[in-house]
Amino acid sequence: MADKNIKFLIVDDFSTMRRIVRNLLKELGFNNADEAEDGVAALHKLHGGGFEFVVSDWNMPNMTGLELLKAIRADAGLKHLPVLMITAEAKKENIIEAAQAGASGYIVKPFTAATLEEKLNKIFEKVGK
Amino acid sequence: MSEFGEMEELLQDFLLEASELLSEVDNKLVELEKRPNDTALLHDIFRGFHTIKGGAGFLNVNELVALCHRTESLFDKLRNGQLKLTPEIMDTIMAATGVVRDMFQDLSGRQMPGPAQKSLLDALDAAIAGQQAPAAAPKAAASAAQASAPAQGSGPDWNVLYQALVGEATPQPSASPPEPPPAPEAAEPALAPPSRLPAVQNQPAPKETTIRIDTERLDQVLNLSGEIGLTKNRLTCLRADILQGKSDGETLRALDEAVNQLDLLVGDLQNAVMKTRMQPIGRLFQKYPRLARDLARQLGKDVELVISGEETELDKTMIEDLNDPLVHLVRNAVDHGIEDRAEREAAGKPAKSVIRLSATQIGDHIIIEISDEGRGMRPEVIRQKAVEKGIIEADAANTLDDRQSLNLIFLPGFSTKDTISNVSGRGVGMDVVKTNISRLNGRIDVISVPGEGSTFTISLPLTLAILPVLVVGLGRQPFAIPLSLVREIIPIDPEAVQRVSGRATLVVREEVLPIRTLASLIGWPEAGPAAYGVLMQCGDTAFVLAIDNFIGRDDVVIKPLLDIKPKGIAGATLSGDGSIVLVLDMEELLAVGAPSGAQAAFA
Repeated sequence: MADKNIKFLIVDDFSTMRRIVRNLLKELGFNNADEAEDGVAALHKLHGGGFEFVVSDWNMPNMTGLELLKAIRADAGLKHLPVLMITAEAKKENIIEAAQAGASGYIVKPFTAATLEEKLNKIFEKVGK
Repeated sequence: MSEFGEMEELLQDFLLEASELLSEVDNKLVELEKRPNDTALLHDIFRGFHTIKGGAGFLNVNELVALCHRTESLFDKLRNGQLKLTPEIMDTIMAATGVVRDMFQDLSGRQMPGPAQKSLLDALDAAIAGQQAPAAAPKAAASAAQASAPAQGSGPDWNVLYQALVGEATPQPSASPPEPPPAPEAAEPALAPPSRLPAVQNQPAPKETTIRIDTERLDQVLNLSGEIGLTKNRLTCLRADILQGKSDGETLRALDEAVNQLDLLVGDLQNAVMKTRMQPIGRLFQKYPRLARDLARQLGKDVELVISGEETELDKTMIEDLNDPLVHLVRNAVDHGIEDRAEREAAGKPAKSVIRLSATQIGDHIIIEISDEGRGMRPEVIRQKAVEKGIIEADAANTLDDRQSLNLIFLPGFSTKDTISNVSGRGVGMDVVKTNISRLNGRIDVISVPGEGSTFTISLPLTLAILPVLVVGLGRQPFAIPLSLVREIIPIDPEAVQRVSGRATLVVREEVLPIRTLASLIGWPEAGPAAYGVLMQCGDTAFVLAIDNFIGRDDVVIKPLLDIKPKGIAGATLSGDGSIVLVLDMEELLAVGAPSGAQAAFA
């Protein structure tokens, strides 16, 4: 079972959505989460250190989730971070893009706590947490 | 409300945020009409619908998801250049945002919204399928949509695809992809979006009970209350010392210091708390370009609403209460202010007209102006209408100057349009506007140049919570005068008082000002000549208010008088020494004490 104290960063420009994700994580017992409103703010927080998992929306102003993902993978200090992409876009190109850019997982809105847990567990298994 | 249950709080958050987002989308749509190829705008609008859809999905508002899914798909095609924006598509989108707003309304009433009209959904599907005119070719649209639906349904199972790409065993798809839009079954009557839009805007906005505050502002409040706590501790210590008989210079100096500090801190705290209630007026303004655009289209006019000063901040409760008056003024400007096309052409004006809505802070007041470049108002016409409608007597009308005549439009029962349009002008508007503004301690004024347009100016205090006042004395009773009305304080030299047609006047820097004694205004017996005067500016009237003495200036919180309401008294407050100070309502006081009733009513 995953460490429940692992620190999440939730990235979404819509605060209601950040709250939804935070609540779902809480439901799963993950109480340690911070939020960022777009890719730029997220990178800033990530550089501050201490984060172990990123859950990011795809569509955001300033810096999209995909750009954030690419920036994380290109950063020596951050590239090991698991990144779960959230999106409502069920498009082939997007999935390929996300996979190629190094997303650890992919989840489609709307989702339940159970779905989220399943996705998280898959990622945890992979990174051996 | 059981439908939402524990989601209730989330729903409130969603509505607050999504309504703002929708207003932004609305404004961007108005922009988009001007610059249909602006990709940044198309992206923003796409994202707006996308975000609303995402939130709605979590709240299980399926009909909202279905609708936003379509608008989002449409904008996806528009932004990728697969479709070109046509006026027909624009109308369909505008109608769709109207329905999204309706659904928000349902949700705020704890109602699960029903599906959007089929004609709208069909029109959207047809537009997505690339059919330019859904109304003209409904049959074709239907078949095209039918053809596109299965294509979407049989698309790749992206969940499987993703797992395949990241190299894992295929799990059961845990979330189902969005439902493909149902294929339209039969042709429906043509869509007529503009006719229902005003009705949408007519619905009263739900009262917001939550507020979003910059955390910096909250931190400041927290900081200050912490510091006040520290100062209180210091005072507690000093009290103990003093009660034990310590009264040396050092102790007293420390006491003085601590009280001074508390004074400063409390002032800062009041300000900081007030600031948490301050919201940019842009939240309100951003709803109006769309409103103006829809009305103008309905009336066959070409009007652009230009907004400035959105960042100006105002107390939240005031922002809410300003909505109705401003909506009315915007409608009024579009409907009555701006001429129709033929009239503009005849007057040699460009077909397109601009209405400006601005907000600025001047001192401790907010000035909101709305001006049109329309036909303006003619004082004589207004006077005549007022007499015809029996609002005033012909004799009284003849004594009014131009400004007073224009102000007649704020009287109940006044409407200059003979034919009542369904947009505005039922004669129940302007007086309500004025009443609403007055309730906020504000004023509304109008100036107009025939043929060139009208400007309505609203002046409001920053907040209703704290009122800076000048405290004056009449005999031994203190009275507070709103400081915003005070121009200066002058001594009254009995020698310099002149009688002009029987009334006492004083010349101050070549300005002849009447002297009104506070005693006579509130109906007290006059006790000898007053020693001091307060030069007051109350609207357009300047005068010297004669009083006995000054006590000082103060920031007071007005407590309304509940059971008695003496004319000219806004309420009461406590002074530092615990005595009761009556706060004067100068405007009411002047209206009561004015020499001629008719003049005063329109002044």
